[in-house]
Amino acid sequence: MIPVELYIGLAAIIFSIGLYGFMTQRSGIRMLMCVELMLNSANLNLVAFSSYNADLTGQVFALYSIALAACEAAIGFAILMAIFRMKDTINLDTFNVLRW
Amino acid sequence: MDLMLLAPELTLAVTGLAVLLIGLFLPVGAKKMLGYLASLGILVALALTVSSLGTEATMFNDTLSIDALSQFFKIVFLVVALLFAIASIKYTEGNSHTEEFFSLGVFATIGMMFVASANDIMVLFIAFELASLATYALAGFEKSNQKSLEAAMKYFMIGSLSAALLLFGISFIYGMTGTTSIPAIAAGAGNLVTNPIGLVAVVLLVAGFGFKIALVPFHMWAPDTYQGSPSVVSSLLAAGSKKMGIVAAFKVFIVALIALQAEWQMVFAILAVLTMTYGNVVALSQTSVKRMLAYSSLAQAGYITMAFVVLTPMALGGGILYALSHGFMKAGAFIATAAVVYMVLSENRDVEDPDHLDNFKGLGKRMPVTALSMTIFVFALAGIPLTAGYMSKFVLFSSTIQAGFVWLAVIAILNSALSLYYYARVVKYMYFIPTDAGKVSEPLPYTIALVIAVIGVLAIGFWSEPFVYWAMEAAKVLIPGGM
Repeated sequence: MIPVELYIGLAAIIFSIGLYGFMTQRSGIRMLMCVELMLNSANLNLVAFSSYNADLTGQVFALYSIALAACEAAIGFAILMAIFRMKDTINLDTFNVLRW
Repeated sequence: MDLMLLAPELTLAVTGLAVLLIGLFLPVGAKKMLGYLASLGILVALALTVSSLGTEATMFNDTLSIDALSQFFKIVFLVVALLFAIASIKYTEGNSHTEEFFSLGVFATIGMMFVASANDIMVLFIAFELASLATYALAGFEKSNQKSLEAAMKYFMIGSLSAALLLFGISFIYGMTGTTSIPAIAAGAGNLVTNPIGLVAVVLLVAGFGFKIALVPFHMWAPDTYQGSPSVVSSLLAAGSKKMGIVAAFKVFIVALIALQAEWQMVFAILAVLTMTYGNVVALSQTSVKRMLAYSSLAQAGYITMAFVVLTPMALGGGILYALSHGFMKAGAFIATAAVVYMVLSENRDVEDPDHLDNFKGLGKRMPVTALSMTIFVFALAGIPLTAGYMSKFVLFSSTIQAGFVWLAVIAILNSALSLYYYARVVKYMYFIPTDAGKVSEPLPYTIALVIAVIGVLAIGFWSEPFVYWAMEAAKVLIPGGM
């Protein structure tokens, strides 16, 4: 059996890639994809721990969180669509009316 | 298991679905009734929650617990939702998407209520997301208004980041303890204390909840979102959604992760000081009233965070009471602003900043009820005696001093004094700067919502004993037997 540390390491790497991308990318869709990466790294963790602890809760949790990620993507794309209709671009840097 | 205990949530779910379905078959002119229907549903849910006060039970295999804490916060959320729904009747008038607006508001409230009664981290996270997803859509409700879209975009991006951080942190907690039940995590936290992964989880959770409660340095989205969203939605965000973050953090840190107290207590002390100081200082120079209220809302979150530092039953009671008072004060202040924005926009559709301080000139003569209630709300936020704000600040700050955190209390009191400047400025504009514009009629739904909020603020101020007692009962759930 592959030791659980490797799964944690892999999840941490995927999470960091997602976080890095989220902070550097300016396109709305890429940022959403990075959030998905972060959520999926957490799912990987949950499933790995679930099999390691011999407890099914983690897998159930992962299923729920996949469904939640889908809902989140739906809302996100709806907001991005509205932005695209107004600006003809989804570069979020063009949205900066609100500042102090 | 008694299903009656779930009746408030079920009522709301039925209301939300009914509003959505009925709205499909109504012409735009008749959609006003949806607002009444939603308000009625929330009122029934509120009555059902009040009638079940004092019961203690767990449901669905211990994943939901009904106790003094959950009932207290459910009432906070329902009161805020009621104010939001009543005020929105006027805001959504003539809008063809009215049914979506009200059903999203009702669903957000259900999510907040489930967070309040969650006894399992999985339920807590899912309910948290239910409320968040509904409010993302509400913030961008004016989809041809660039400000509203920008508010929704920033709120969504930061919100989804915070959800990812939370889930990653929760996955470590689950891995180390092998369970998602909050009491079981507290019992089996030994692994978390000895393993450095426990520290990683605490950092991720502090950041995740920090984004939701809008603690500095996780606050960047909050002023933009509160300013850009429709004012009635800002009232739900500032008064409801933020309290949801606080009750979730209470459950996760104070109940589940109390063994790691040494790790998070100092972090919250630093965040509390930073948040209240930054919020108050930046609020001084704001000319948009909604943005000023957003920064003041940061400052108030900073005060409530003091409860995590002091951790005595009395301080937690103070924090919980503060959450209730802040619900009334902040929702009321945003609704008063909404009434002004409505008045300004109905005079001239193309005004760039309808919530600019200049539009509050002479409001005491133009809209007397709105101006008077706004005065009461801002003075309550500043903590003037005989209002809810004073009472909650008194309990919270005095318990901080009692517990030996004198430095923290001094910083908080200095901050409150500072905040009086920008609150009093609004009152100065409303009563002492004259304007040529004449009196306007005040829309009835806004007025009703304002009157309810004023009654709440003054009731907690004048007749505070039962509220303080009730908040203390709720605090006992967090720290049984005291520390």
